[in-house]
Amino acid sequence: MAGVPVEALQGVPLFAGLSKHEVKQIASLFKERRFSEGETVVRQGSGGAAFFVIDSGEATVFVAGEEYTTLKPGDYFGEIALIDEGTRMATITATSDLLCYGLTYWDFRPLVEENGAIGWKLLQSMTKMYREAREG
Amino acid sequence: MKEVVRLEKARETALFGSKAVGLGQAMRDGLPVPPGVALSGAVVEAVAAGKDRVIKHVEKAVHPLGGPLAVRSSAVDEDGAEASFAGQHLTLLNVPSSEELASALSEIWWSANSDSAISYRQRVGLFTRPSVGVVVQALLDPETAGVMFTQNPVTGADERVIEASWGLGEAVVAGQVIPDTFRIERSGRVLERTPGLKKIAIRTVSGGGTVEEEVSPELVERLCLEDDQLGELNRLADRCELVYGSARDIEWAFAGGTLYLLQCRAVTRAGP
Repeated sequence: MAGVPVEALQGVPLFAGLSKHEVKQIASLFKERRFSEGETVVRQGSGGAAFFVIDSGEATVFVAGEEYTTLKPGDYFGEIALIDEGTRMATITATSDLLCYGLTYWDFRPLVEENGAIGWKLLQSMTKMYREAREG
Repeated sequence: MKEVVRLEKARETALFGSKAVGLGQAMRDGLPVPPGVALSGAVVEAVAAGKDRVIKHVEKAVHPLGGPLAVRSSAVDEDGAEASFAGQHLTLLNVPSSEELASALSEIWWSANSDSAISYRQRVGLFTRPSVGVVVQALLDPETAGVMFTQNPVTGADERVIEASWGLGEAVVAGQVIPDTFRIERSGRVLERTPGLKKIAIRTVSGGGTVEEEVSPELVERLCLEDDQLGELNRLADRCELVYGSARDIEWAFAGGTLYLLQCRAVTRAGP
């Protein structure tokens, strides 16, 4: 099946303000990606251009070498790279075989550029996340 | 425009990437390339996106090759420079059959979109959407394989330099063995035969993938090419230069006693 089930994206704050139809458009752009147990999924400081939602399996997040948290099915990572072309902020290692759905910058950007309504809602979500981060 | 074609029909670099078109040209020129199918970057992406119709079409096209298969990336770069992506995009050897091809193509598509590939693209100022074509070929099970430079890549001397080892050529390409080294004049006269230290050989495994196998002690330092095989390689170098021009970097293999050309590109290594 092409894309990721819409339900998998419902908990992602970046997409929180979007309508079901808009989330569906984004969901159709995802591609399945598998990682083997022990594989480094993303590395802190490395460039990145994809956002991932975990479908099955677990992964551990390390920040500056320190274990930070565990990711489980339904969790997601890498959404910042969808927008700012920046470097990864953490290292994530698959602690079991991992099935993810990934969305690349190259697929996401044209959709946002062509659809101002989606762009505006994403801007609102980003601002909300920024405000929450500032307020601690 | 057809985007899934037999390798000998691959002509458009912008669709299939330079590796596929280079091999297609080699076949059209009668060089001994194993049979294969070329897939465009768009087809590879559609397979990675799980488009069933495209997956079925690809499986059908690849089915006549039988199995196992070698699945090699063929970067469709903005300037067509495959070499600039050497090592960034994946090659999967020994994909058991066309049924397992979709997941192999997905892996290759993601290898072009991996963090390391993206970092590389940023470093070289190419932060643009990657596109990766693919060459699917029947996988050989070679007795001996390696690389050949049609002109000495270090000294620039007009002589063939051959590096060879037992099994698949990946052991030589990835530097996993000290290969045998041979130098041959254009006339065919052998100038040097230096045995390497070939402790492992990469072999295919039934069911998929490859394995590093220990080489039996008496073969570790025994030369893996006979003089008549060096003669064949020299003739292959002549033909490749005739088709592509001088100073070529060739990957080759002897399987079932027959010499095959696996890749031919311009020499990119710098001298000391």
